[in-house]
This record gives sequence, C-alpha cells and structure tokens, in this order.
Amino acid sequence: MIGTVVVTGAARGIGRSIVERLAANPSFKVVGVDLSPELGDSDLDMIPVQVDLTADEGVAAVVDTVRRAETPLIGLVNNAGITRDSRLVNMTDEDFRAVLDVNLGAVFRLSSALADLMSDNGSIVNIASRAYLGNFGQFNYSMSKGGVVGLTRALALSLAPHVRVNAVAPGLIGTEMAMAIPEDVLEKMVAGIPLDRMGKPEEVANVVWFLLTPLSSYITGEVLVVGGGRSLS
Amino acid sequence: MNIHHAQQVSDDWPEVRAELERAFLMSREAAQAGENFVYVIHHDDLLGRRGPGNAMVATGLLSAARTGAIEGSRKGWTANVVAFDDDADPEVVQAWAERLASDPAGVSGELIRVGVSHLGKTLP
Repeated sequence: MIGTVVVTGAARGIGRSIVERLAANPSFKVVGVDLSPELGDSDLDMIPVQVDLTADEGVAAVVDTVRRAETPLIGLVNNAGITRDSRLVNMTDEDFRAVLDVNLGAVFRLSSALADLMSDNGSIVNIASRAYLGNFGQFNYSMSKGGVVGLTRALALSLAPHVRVNAVAPGLIGTEMAMAIPEDVLEKMVAGIPLDRMGKPEEVANVVWFLLTPLSSYITGEVLVVGGGRSLS
Repeated sequence: MNIHHAQQVSDDWPEVRAELERAFLMSREAAQAGENFVYVIHHDDLLGRRGPGNAMVATGLLSAARTGAIEGSRKGWTANVVAFDDDADPEVVQAWAERLASDPAGVSGELIRVGVSHLGKTLP
C-alpha cells in the first residue's frame, strides 16, 4: 500500500468507476465519500464515509478518516455533484444555492481541509464539466463548474511544487444523470458528438487515473476535456 | 445598464457564494427583462493568481456568461465578460463594459481582455 486516495460521489456513476479503477490496484487505499446510503451497499474495496460535504461535520469526518488511514494521503478526487436545471429566467434562488454549495463550495472546503495532509507528489483531481464552456439551462451548474476550473488553477499555484492539481471536464457520459434527460433531447445531443456516442464512466476514470499517477508528473493547473469532440462540433 | 463588477473576496465560501449570487440575481433580472448583461473581472483571477476565492468568482462568472449567451441567443439578449489587468485604464474598461451592455453588435459569450498580461497565457 503506497497511499490513500479520497473519492467523493463514490456511490454511483463516474465516482464509482474511479473507485473501481483505484481499488483494483493494491497500492491504493480508497476512502469513498457520498451522501447516499447506497455507498454502504457497495461491494467495492473501500472505506465508506457517508456524509454531507456541505456541512462542517461532513468535511471533518473525512479528515478524521484520512488521519486514521495509516497511509499517506496521495490523492483527492472531488467528483460529487448535482444538477438543478432550468432556464436562467426561471431559476430559483434555492436551486442556484444548492448547486453552488455542492458542486463548488464542498470542493473548496474539502480541498482546503485536506491540502495540509497531502504528501509530497500528491495529486488533486477535480471533476468539472464540459458545461464550463456553457450549456443551455444550466446557469447554476455551468457557473459552479467554471468555479471549479478557477479553483483548480489557484490551488495548482498555491500547492506547487509539492502537490499537482488538475481538472477533468466530462461531456455527455452514460450515467444516471444523463439518463434523466428526455430521450429525444438525448438523441440530439449524441448527434452533436463527433465520436457518435455518449462516453462511458470508465473513460473518465482512465483520465483521472492518468492525472493521479506519475504518468502526469509534469502537468498541473490544466483542464482535460473528455467529451468525444463535442466542443468542436 | 446591467454591469456586475466582481468584488474582491477572501478565501471564505460564504463570501464567495454571496458574490456569485449577486451576479446571478442581476443576470436573472436582466434576462427576465430581455436585456444584455456584462461581468467585469480581474484577469489575474482567471488564472488563479490572487487566491481560490477570487478565482472561483472570476471563472464562475465567465462560465455563467457563456451559458447566459447560449440562452440569450434564442431571445435576443447577450452576455459578455470584460477582464482587465493592473495596467488597464479604468475608463477604457468601463467603456468596453458599457458598449457590451448597450450595443454589443452581435458579440455574445465573449471575453474581452483589456491589457497585455494575458498574452502567452492559457485560454480561460
């Protein structure tokens, strides 16, 4: 075992795939964090922490788990996120705040709390979204993910040279979040993707793996888009 | 005119969220009235040079303007961002903001950078 990696939003979708990728390697002890009770049902080899990361107690519980893990903290993957979509003209204050608090506030607070515990050559990977380039009906989500990009750059500067910080911006990935999109809308979205399909969660996990490991030892402060070419079409 | 000048914030989440929320409220009101809106930010914050709080605000606003521009393209209003550096003339910055808020001439979802500190740096 060479170190601990914390993955948030670990119960489902992209987060679960990231945990699967890491847990398959005996070098990593994975701390999986999620608000969902599904986390406890997982058959994956990880230490589950079921908490709300928008609350101080939730962040403190993760820090406490990391301290007790007995291996150095070498990675953090901030993946947890939610959507509350509507056009800007109809967006409620509640939906705006909920998305900002989970998608950006929790990332900032957990990263700040764990930064001092990160070992030399550690790596933080923030899951942003291709929506940081703009996406209809997602003013709150797009703002939150854009904020994650800025946070990534600021942390990359402040934590260098000891810790690298990068972001991954997935496009349309075949998760529950995507499956909630009406079928006709989904078909149109896929038609706009040059690779002609949705991405798979494991294809995002592969990029996260790259950014967590020494394979990317000279990369920090960058955003890697995993979107099948959608940003071009 | 609907121009939001981003205020400097500390690295404190409630302060960051409050600043983003002020921009949201201005933008929603502008969109409901079918009017253009503009955000004014410091260029250093797009690259994270003045700390996480200011970076989250600046890049959050840039992404929000991009989404606003997409939504406005169907309704006839625009959303843009002006970024300035320390050497930029404040009057020039304000003139750009007012131009984009009043008569953007088909420009939407764009980042106008006043100054030269962005040259050779990453595209935000």
